[in-house]
Amino acid sequence: MEEIKLAKGFKPALAGKPDQSVIHLPDPETVGVSVMDMPYIRPKILVKENDPVKTGTPLFCDKRNQRIQYVSPATGIVSQIIFGERRHLKEIVIRLKGKNECIQFETLSPDTVDKVQKATLIRLLQEGGLWPCFRQFPFKDTADPDLEPAMIIVSMNGNDPFSPHPAAVLEHESRAFEFGIRILHQLSPRIVISSRQSSLDRLNGFKNHITHNVPDVYPAWDPGVVLYKLKTAIKENSSWCISAEHLALIGNFLLTGTYPVKRVFTVTRSNDQKPHIIARQGSPVKLLAGSFPDKSLITTGRFNGRPVDLDSHMGFFETTLNIIPDNPKEELFGFITPGISKPSASRTFLSSFLKTRTQQDCNLHGEERACVNCGYCAKICPVDLDPSFIMKAVLSDDIEDALSFGLLDCCRCGLCSYACPSKIELTHLLSNGINAYYKDKQ
Amino acid sequence: MNPLKKLFDSTQKYFSGSGKFNALAPLFDATKTFFFLPSPRTRHIPFVRDSLDLKRFMSFVILSLMPVLLFGIYNTGLQAGIATGKPCTGVEAFLTGLTYVLPIIIVTYAVGFFWEILFASIRGHKISEGLLVTGLLFPLTLPPTIPLWQVAVGISFGVVIGKELFGGTGRNVFNPALTGRAFLFFSYPLTMSGDVWIAGKTLVDGVSGATALAVTAQEGQTITAALADSGFTLSKLFLGFVPGSIGETSTLCCLIGAAFLILTRVANFRIIIGGLAGLILTSLVFYFIPGTSGSWLNAGPLYHLCAGGFMFGITFMATDPVSAPGTDPARWVFGFLIGFLTVTIRAVNPAFVEGAMLAILFMNVFAPLLDHMVMKYKVSKRIPNV
Repeated sequence: MEEIKLAKGFKPALAGKPDQSVIHLPDPETVGVSVMDMPYIRPKILVKENDPVKTGTPLFCDKRNQRIQYVSPATGIVSQIIFGERRHLKEIVIRLKGKNECIQFETLSPDTVDKVQKATLIRLLQEGGLWPCFRQFPFKDTADPDLEPAMIIVSMNGNDPFSPHPAAVLEHESRAFEFGIRILHQLSPRIVISSRQSSLDRLNGFKNHITHNVPDVYPAWDPGVVLYKLKTAIKENSSWCISAEHLALIGNFLLTGTYPVKRVFTVTRSNDQKPHIIARQGSPVKLLAGSFPDKSLITTGRFNGRPVDLDSHMGFFETTLNIIPDNPKEELFGFITPGISKPSASRTFLSSFLKTRTQQDCNLHGEERACVNCGYCAKICPVDLDPSFIMKAVLSDDIEDALSFGLLDCCRCGLCSYACPSKIELTHLLSNGINAYYKDKQ
Repeated sequence: MNPLKKLFDSTQKYFSGSGKFNALAPLFDATKTFFFLPSPRTRHIPFVRDSLDLKRFMSFVILSLMPVLLFGIYNTGLQAGIATGKPCTGVEAFLTGLTYVLPIIIVTYAVGFFWEILFASIRGHKISEGLLVTGLLFPLTLPPTIPLWQVAVGISFGVVIGKELFGGTGRNVFNPALTGRAFLFFSYPLTMSGDVWIAGKTLVDGVSGATALAVTAQEGQTITAALADSGFTLSKLFLGFVPGSIGETSTLCCLIGAAFLILTRVANFRIIIGGLAGLILTSLVFYFIPGTSGSWLNAGPLYHLCAGGFMFGITFMATDPVSAPGTDPARWVFGFLIGFLTVTIRAVNPAFVEGAMLAILFMNVFAPLLDHMVMKYKVSKRIPNV
């Protein structure tokens, strides 16, 4: 096992770490398939409201490659197709009805999997709705099936510091996980499996598979960061990544021929230790979140998730709900208080010297100002970018400069915006730059 | 509810929308946010944000200036007492100093904020906290005897020409406070350098006349002996009990400020350490040039460090993040060259006795170039991703 070193990143200790115990939730009344966590997709809807669906029935496909399908995670009827701004599909809601019926797909046997053709493998995964598990750098778009990636990075940990523990996710899944790894070897010559240092002690059965361990500093386990640390050649820029949970889903799917729906979630609150939750894919946010103060913000990742409302459903890539309190209080002389309990990556609060576990809120703690070139963003960026320079290049439409400064290495971890004392939306601006470039290339 | 908060809430309507004083909205906003730190909800990722904002960032520079300011006031009283022949110490000296320094600070802030509010109102943006720092840095670079109208002219030049013409905070090439000082330095040289106390006050004697850097040695005398003759011993220069600009005299207080800024990481230590290294190395090189014993070439690192405004400049002026480079290697070079140029100007150029101000302004011009070179190097090390 090799160690990847990361000097930068988010180091303060956070409060609200979820408990390691696991509870099972019964099937919800509705499940949803969200499009909001799938970047760049142009969905073509294949069902109408009130259509009956089985587990595994395709709901929509991607107009860019119609063979890539997205399937229903439950049996019932399509109760709602929700559109957002400019009639962009947001999610398809399915009301569960009757006994769970699964569409039976082809299976692969462990004995012959090493000889199966790559095209067959891809076709099976596309039909079964599991191809989107593979994401392709630099945009983290759905992987291009025609490409042989130089590297596939499997990440044991999720996007949030408190995403589900891989030991909870992979419990009873070791066979599927190992089968998944054999599948990966069909797709790429190099497989990298990375895990957080702190996750390792509970991953005994999987340790021989893990090739790299990363420090316990957000976002060291982000596949984008792992790729940045490992890549040595230009062709590795278009590597793929997949989460360990999705890899186990693929293994399960190919072994059983049915679409796997069991997912593990965490719900975090700063003054609470909730257990890990096992529930069906696409469970309603309301069911998972439980009760909490009205004004909190719910996100699927405090640094790089999306805000969700109570009526929506968990997305395919989302495994965490952070309930972040709203604290809009305007503090008297806030700019000069000692700040024992105020979280900060800077050294201007006593909390940074006392190393207290600090509670976070979803507020800006200041107002937007001009960039003063202080360099806090560069000091925290895990992939050694100078976000303020790139931001200025993006804002002045100088995409060539922005790209040469490494814009596409940005893994959108959110730390530059986090640290900016001028409260500039750096991640948002950089992300817009990446998206604009993506559209340009199409 | 806090009564102050009530007052702001009840008067907000006059300053917003179609209120009577809506043109003064930036002023109202600046006053309100001075008392109450605003904290709206985040709209984009990440949803959690650091507690540090620019107001606190700038306040910490003000805090770091407190030792310099308080000592500057005290020393001004002390020197004024010596110059007028009525020596005083302790509280009396502090109060005397206050009568000199306070009007300068008040005029600076009043005139500075007038321009800032004017530009903010016209442009419709918020008042930047940068002026709080500029408005305190500028008076500290001035001699206490300066006429107040010159203070007003100087800060006007600094804020309008040095900052607002470039587009306001964050876009200025030069440090605004130093720009203002440079303007005064070249426009009114008599009040800015040399015979500080004699210019404004009754002529007493030569004891408290020129600043240390203006001292020249007699035939056959070393520069350090000449300095000691004029009352500039090393310990006096280090502690700051010498005439000079309000804030620059005490190297010790500047070091305290530098330590605070480095500890809280508000200033970048690379600039300060780089500057010190540049000053020490350059002065050492000059020190070993033979046949220079009577000039500042021979003063050695300690005298160069303690005399004049270098320590003040490198701690508070060079570390202004806007006009300094934004990349770490460039910061080292930037600091080092300021140290180098300061000593070079002092020792080699007979026209200017003080080099720190010119060195910093000169390097401000080169900061973007240094950044450009560093970025080019960084790009060449990156695996291209396009």
